[in-house]
Amino acid sequence: MTIDSPTRTGSDLSPAARRSVAERLDVIGYPTKRHEAWRYAPHRTLGALSFGPPVDIAAALPELDAKMPTIEGPRIVVVNGLVDTERSDLTCPDGLRLSSLADVSAEQPERVAHHFDIADDEIDDAYLALSIAFGDDGAVVRVADDVTLDVPIHVVDVAVPDPTRNASCTGVVIHLGARSSATVIETRLGVTDEFGGSNVRTTITLDEGATLEHVVLQDAPDTQVHLSRIDVTQAAESTFNARSFNLGAAFGRCAYNVVLAGAGATADLSGLFFGVGEQVLDQQINVVHAAPDCTSRQTFRGVLDDRSTGVFNGGIDVRPGADGTDAEQSNDNLLLSNYAEVNTQPRLEILADEVACKHGATVGQLDETALYYMRTRGLRADEARRLLINGFADQAIDDVGIEPVRAWITHRLGHDDV
Amino acid sequence: MLHVENLTAAIGQTKILKGLNLDVGAGEVHAIMGPNGSGKSTFAHTIAGRDGYEITGTVTLDGADLLGMEPEDRAAAGVFMGFQYPVEIPGVNNMYFLRTALNSVRRSRGDTEISAREFLKVAKDAMDLVEMKQDFLDRAVNAGFSGGEKKRNEILQMAIMQPRLAVLDETDSGLDIDALRIIAGGVNALRGPERSMIVITHYQRLLDYIKPDFVHVLVDGRIVESGDHTLALHLEDHGYADFLNHGLDDAPEQPLTGVRS
Repeated sequence: MTIDSPTRTGSDLSPAARRSVAERLDVIGYPTKRHEAWRYAPHRTLGALSFGPPVDIAAALPELDAKMPTIEGPRIVVVNGLVDTERSDLTCPDGLRLSSLADVSAEQPERVAHHFDIADDEIDDAYLALSIAFGDDGAVVRVADDVTLDVPIHVVDVAVPDPTRNASCTGVVIHLGARSSATVIETRLGVTDEFGGSNVRTTITLDEGATLEHVVLQDAPDTQVHLSRIDVTQAAESTFNARSFNLGAAFGRCAYNVVLAGAGATADLSGLFFGVGEQVLDQQINVVHAAPDCTSRQTFRGVLDDRSTGVFNGGIDVRPGADGTDAEQSNDNLLLSNYAEVNTQPRLEILADEVACKHGATVGQLDETALYYMRTRGLRADEARRLLINGFADQAIDDVGIEPVRAWITHRLGHDDV
Repeated sequence: MLHVENLTAAIGQTKILKGLNLDVGAGEVHAIMGPNGSGKSTFAHTIAGRDGYEITGTVTLDGADLLGMEPEDRAAAGVFMGFQYPVEIPGVNNMYFLRTALNSVRRSRGDTEISAREFLKVAKDAMDLVEMKQDFLDRAVNAGFSGGEKKRNEILQMAIMQPRLAVLDETDSGLDIDALRIIAGGVNALRGPERSMIVITHYQRLLDYIKPDFVHVLVDGRIVESGDHTLALHLEDHGYADFLNHGLDDAPEQPLTGVRS
């Protein structure tokens, strides 16, 4: 397999960035099927993405408002990698600062340095390199110590493929101060039926005792590619609750790299991927227990219909010294068609003592006996089927506490919220 | 009301029902007893509409051909089956399921749908009948229910669906005496001149609580003996051996002793 030349995006880079990205891309190349984390990705499709600096399309996007969940509170909307101030509402309650990444980079670069200054040997894939090079703008969420925010913060990324650049990069930096608590919802959408995509990278830092509720709603059009990477570093006693709904895009990739760096931290990741048509929905989860007495949970559900493909690649990495680790992982899948496919793989590496690690995966089909049972109660076959599928999916939605988000998901999946 | 004539059912080469005849009149309660493997549950499923059997013969309810109908259409026509093993449906709320079921049947019959508030009233009465608490409705259908709770949920569903014909398949299996009393109480309360029931059971015990108008003995896919409730008492004393070991000609006379009134 040939590796695409980085020069396809190089012409618009600043000289320094171009050199850096080009050099790094030369070394690592684009991922191929030989890379475990990209094994099921449609590489030909990915190869057709053209990245570059953001293009201000300044277009009216009438479809966008209908697609976006209606959530009261501060909002920042990023269109093609640039903050759209018209659609954003940066009014914040005390203790919260919501800003554009480009502004913070210009005014207080030290606040976001960790998002960009990544050592060469840690740039492990091409899309991270591209994100460093081109993802200048996006959102920065900062919550001060000891602040508990009642309103959720909404970060919306919108891909609008442009003939000159069909793919954009967006950066999101979230920092919660000690003992603070906040909810951030990241909605990822796309407009138009053109081919293209979005590469969104989120860097999350949770100080001691902080609690973040983080929701990803990925619903890009099925003509697009959506790449999401979320890097999390957690200090002692912090809590990261991640809820991912990977629903849209021809290829929707949702990757989490969580490092439990301080003792007693908790990461609870759950999610739903629901594929139809020929979608490929890919979850790449990596939780590193780097400190003692941390807890992690990975609970992901997949529903795959038609010719769709689901991927769950879940890693638990218990480092030396991370004694008292309590880690669990589960992935339950429902295949609705003979042509649908799911690839589920646990990866456990345990190098510490007194560790409790559990993992399990199931792949099943709709329970024919349950369908029959429901039909004897008068439910039409399609209705019984719908109820069973929703019942399976709803168990992933149960973890979401924010009503408008629940409503958006249930509406998106086409069923009543019970 | 229910007319079954020369009914046969087979799975592949295995014949299970071999020419079953039965007539159930309006308001009647018929008990079907028989040893394991005699075809009792298969009979229930052929009435309810389970896939996978090759079926010949006639089954009509109020003159309508049931065998040509999908299970949901049979439900709309008034058939209800209480399962021996009620199915667990994780993630589907019991109340939502029951209301959806009731409204599906109402729609099929051309009735208006029932509102959530009206439904609560209906459900409340049904729950009282089987001594269930409100939290039953908030749980997923049968998920994590005890054996007794599952069976009570079946009777609750029957009370809500108000069927013309209820087929209760081994509703007494796995129940302790208190649960049996509650379930039998529910069934008895639902007896009425317009509602017929077929109670399938292995043991006579249930028939102490639900007194049938007729008892039939099903052996090897056929009804080999019919009588009143005293036939059940004979079976209790003598087992099915008389029917298994001898031909039909040897079937016992109605017992003259041990008759309860």
